[in-house]
Amino acid sequence: MMKLAREWNRFWFEPGPASNLGLCRLLFFGMLCVWMFPHDFSAWGSYSRVFWMPVSLFRVAHIGPLPVDALFIVQAVWKASLAFAAIGLFARPAMIVAALLGFYLMGLPHNFGQTQHFDTLVVLSMGALALSRAGDAYSADAWLGRNGRRTSECDAEYTWPIRFVWVAMSLIFFAAGISKLRHSGLDWIFSDSFSLFLLRQQYHISDGDPLTTWGIVVAHHPWLSHAMAASAVTVETLFPIVLFSRRARLVLVPAGLLFLVGIRLLMGPTFEQFMMCYVFWVPWDRVAVIVRGYAHTDSGRVSAVPRRDGVFAATRTDSGREPTRYRHLPRAAHRRRWNDHGREAREHDGEPRLR
Amino acid sequence: MTPPRRILLNAVFLALIVGSAYDIVRDQEHWPLSQYPMFSVAWHSSTFAWLRLFGVTADGREFPLASNRYIAPFDQSRLPKALRRIMDGPDGPAKTREAVAECLARYTTLGEERLHNGPPLVAMRLYELEWTIDPDAANVDRPDSRRLITEVRR
Repeated sequence: MMKLAREWNRFWFEPGPASNLGLCRLLFFGMLCVWMFPHDFSAWGSYSRVFWMPVSLFRVAHIGPLPVDALFIVQAVWKASLAFAAIGLFARPAMIVAALLGFYLMGLPHNFGQTQHFDTLVVLSMGALALSRAGDAYSADAWLGRNGRRTSECDAEYTWPIRFVWVAMSLIFFAAGISKLRHSGLDWIFSDSFSLFLLRQQYHISDGDPLTTWGIVVAHHPWLSHAMAASAVTVETLFPIVLFSRRARLVLVPAGLLFLVGIRLLMGPTFEQFMMCYVFWVPWDRVAVIVRGYAHTDSGRVSAVPRRDGVFAATRTDSGREPTRYRHLPRAAHRRRWNDHGREAREHDGEPRLR
Repeated sequence: MTPPRRILLNAVFLALIVGSAYDIVRDQEHWPLSQYPMFSVAWHSSTFAWLRLFGVTADGREFPLASNRYIAPFDQSRLPKALRRIMDGPDGPAKTREAVAECLARYTTLGEERLHNGPPLVAMRLYELEWTIDPDAANVDRPDSRRLITEVRR
């Protein structure tokens, strides 16, 4: 039990760099802002109660559609909050407003006859970010020195929001896979069902038409159709393994993205918003290191770059011009070094130093 | 991180996991949590039926509103399903007429706002279309049959 609690805490609260979460916030809200800018939710206020079929949460909470004018104002405020959250100006209140109004606005259409599923992860992600300190890095607040924290600081606060999105996405994929197995079993893979789905989606019956007619081509080749159906169920059902296995993550996370792209290309449903949440899977600090090839730091200080199974510990000369070299340490060494860094950071000035 | 905050966050994590597990096990949906049932029921029939709105112009010409821009903010998935639920609900025929009348008004508004370039309509009809699925989807515009559900005139 203690081991389970320890693993639980390690999973959610392992210290991570502010920069990763900050960049995720910037990209997530930035893309969402651009995507949502042309969307008009106010028209939902123009329909009478004949179309109003509330989902359980709206029914229980007695939340109804606002009039058109009110919805117009609410969505204007929401879109502004998305922009503020993206650039990180007044980041904390902006993310809270974005989550609350986004919950209402993105939930509203589902009360008009059909619950669609492309935006649930976005709503959950906004909720997590609203509770987080995602504005501590890559933000106007940090640039203006308003958040009182240094972006080089590593903290559990910068890990859990990312892991929250991981878990939410894993549960979504897993649920979709289980639904298929429960309702159809292996028939979903080995019958002509998937081919018929691909063909049926060509008849303008989806929230978005397929971007290509490749679905017809796939439907003409049963072996390809079966293979795609099998890979879809496999990726969905096994996706939660990514939470525990770095190797599985390397395979299943891109496969899941490919799966969503495939749905959009072949079948139509608009999962673009869901795909935006993939920014949370990218270890941006490591990407930066790889892209730069080497890192420059100031005054001999380093920002340790954590990994799931160790750390890129930096060493450098005093010239300030030579590239930083990295060496990979095993997990145990990582923990010890990390804790040492943490203690040392508090003794000095809040920023980790290399011994 | 303070202990109360850690407790709060753990409660949020558990709510996500337990709530999702509940929906998965019970095969229920409580937005924003869900069992994600889309496309989960295997499809074996070579035919299918779908509701579709048609516009009627002043010269009596009829055309399908098969693009989302004619029915926004609805789409070609949500609107037919909403209309089906209205039809199957209490006082179905009257409420279906009311719903189609609102779609006609919305079409006119969208046209006035230049959000579509469709012709002015004098009436809107709701049909149930039935197709035999073609291996090349070549009959998208030619359903096998259609049944008029209701018509609303301006």
